[in-house]
Amino acid sequence: MIKNTKQNYLNHPRGIMSWLLTVDHKRIGLMYLVSGILFFFMGGLLALVMRFELAAPGNDIISNEIYNNAYTLHGAIMIFLFIIPAIPGALGNILLPLMVGAKDVAFPRLNLASFYIYSFGALFALYTIVNGGVDTGWTFYTPYSTQSSSNVVPMTLGIFIIGFSSILTGLNFIATVHKMRIPGLTWYKLPLFVWALYGTSLVQITATPVLAITMVLLMLERFLGIGIFDPALGGDPVLYQHFFWFYSHPAVYIMILPAFGIISEIIPVHSRKKIWGYKFIAYSTLSIAFIGFLVWGHHMFTSGQSVFSQIVFSFITYFVGIPTGVKIFSWILTMYKGQVSFTPPMLYALAFLFLFTIGGLTGIFLGAVALDIHLHDTYFVVAHFHYVMQGGTIVAFLGGLHHWWPKSFGVMYNQTIANIAALGVFIGFNGTFFPQFLLGLRGMPRRYATYDEQFVELHSYSTFWSGILGISIFIAVMNLFWSFMKKNKVDPGSNPWGGMTLEWTHTSSPPHPHNFEEEPVLQHGPYDYDKVIVQKTYKK
Amino acid sequence: MSEHHITPLRTYLIIAASLLFLSGVTVWVSYIDLGSFNIVLAMFVATVKASLVAFFFMHLLWDDKKNLTMFLMSLMFFGIFVTITMLDTEFRGDLGLNPEVKDPINKRAAFYDTLPLTDTHGHPVDEHSDEHHEDKDHH
Repeated sequence: MIKNTKQNYLNHPRGIMSWLLTVDHKRIGLMYLVSGILFFFMGGLLALVMRFELAAPGNDIISNEIYNNAYTLHGAIMIFLFIIPAIPGALGNILLPLMVGAKDVAFPRLNLASFYIYSFGALFALYTIVNGGVDTGWTFYTPYSTQSSSNVVPMTLGIFIIGFSSILTGLNFIATVHKMRIPGLTWYKLPLFVWALYGTSLVQITATPVLAITMVLLMLERFLGIGIFDPALGGDPVLYQHFFWFYSHPAVYIMILPAFGIISEIIPVHSRKKIWGYKFIAYSTLSIAFIGFLVWGHHMFTSGQSVFSQIVFSFITYFVGIPTGVKIFSWILTMYKGQVSFTPPMLYALAFLFLFTIGGLTGIFLGAVALDIHLHDTYFVVAHFHYVMQGGTIVAFLGGLHHWWPKSFGVMYNQTIANIAALGVFIGFNGTFFPQFLLGLRGMPRRYATYDEQFVELHSYSTFWSGILGISIFIAVMNLFWSFMKKNKVDPGSNPWGGMTLEWTHTSSPPHPHNFEEEPVLQHGPYDYDKVIVQKTYKK
Repeated sequence: MSEHHITPLRTYLIIAASLLFLSGVTVWVSYIDLGSFNIVLAMFVATVKASLVAFFFMHLLWDDKKNLTMFLMSLMFFGIFVTITMLDTEFRGDLGLNPEVKDPINKRAAFYDTLPLTDTHGHPVDEHSDEHHEDKDHH
């Protein structure tokens, strides 16, 4: 079925201009991937600097001012430059058209434009770093952000610009899912990763404009002195938090929904079993996307908002637990009585199940107003969102990279090293962030460069394991990179995990420049392991 | 979207006239003092005008219904944002923050030490002992 051709999207056409002006979704995805990983390392380096500063009390490595810059840039880079664009931009771009059997996304030129808009916004962020950083925290809360002498304007401008890239990618994906599916690929036959990208795109186009508006209002206040958020000018600082979190809470789902999609692909393939509760997983994606718009106030329980709002937000927050629980239980039931193989992608998926569940459950603690008032702005919150963002999204992203690496680039990495690295990520992650739950419960506030003697032990544990975590992630990424450099090629017809979706069954590895030699004909659903036998084929 | 809808000139003129009329309405209601309801009314008229433009001038009415769904969704999300934000701004400081009005949950809570002392009936007890005698008389 898959023809052996030497021509693929990586080698045809050649030349630097063919990359810079490409409209091929796979090349654009690869460019997102490279830039995303560069920013990931930049953000990770800042994290390690902070962790080593916190290994002991006092200012040993960096000053308080630099520490303020470090955590702001770490947050802003990781969220706006890596996590939000990375999965939809990189894996989404590479896989979405392949999964729906299309030649490309609906608007290929717009797709390239999105990448350039992202790069242009990223330049502002880089300028901020070179020009002395920004010290407000990634949330840019007023009134401080309208008074701070650091680079609030270039950073917010950068985020404003990147937001447009996000909106256009979302628009492109929605149009692709609606219009580019091959005949017979109905909604309920779509791979769940496509559903996840669809839900993400809906959130991107409905929430991101609010971020742009917020950033514009912030600049209007700074430059023109129009009173919107600053009480001295007749504004309301809590209103800023409403604006900011109306985008940024749904943005949490922009970050986590694609990760859910990746896990929904990895688990059935590596368990060789039909996914449990397909429709429930698909609709829970949409309901998480919707409920995500109603809960932003749970970030503001100590901001002085009305008690009535606190009750409403706290109540609605619990509803997020329902669709999330539906997904977690469906994944566990998918593995039940399946042929689970402990391949690197599967190890990341299993790590995800543990870490995301801890992250999600501690989110329910924080959704309770009475408890949140004690835990707000402590390391408990830091640990919680790292369990969700890193333990959830980044672990799933690494799993997805390992899963689709042979497909995307036609090379296979060393699986033993990948397994060891995955284990290192899991242990290192828990070692770093679990002590932070305890630190938070004991009252250690976040965003401080130093601390009291009583916290020394837990902080030094956390720092030690953060080193292991950093090294493990570095090994995992280098292992992938090395396989690419060494050209450890797999046969173009390989299907090493026995996947059933179109990208595995109907196109070569790496894919043909136009994705498919001829329009694919759908023969079975994405997870029909109960009906069809798909062989694992992996030849060098 | 497959075929172009051709709108008669008459429709365009009627819509244009309605927009002008609604602009007049906006100016007119701004002279009437309705308190905070003024902004609601102004936003309502503006939304009607924007919808007329989207439906007729931008052909949303004859377009693919998915586009209409998107348009309505954006209105819905805007509504959610404004409504729930106003639950905060309109009620801030209203509920449960005035312990002299509300019954305290735990009467011995440290917070109540800062308030004037009262007996179990809520009468102040620190200045004169007369009220205590009255209480005893009642019993």
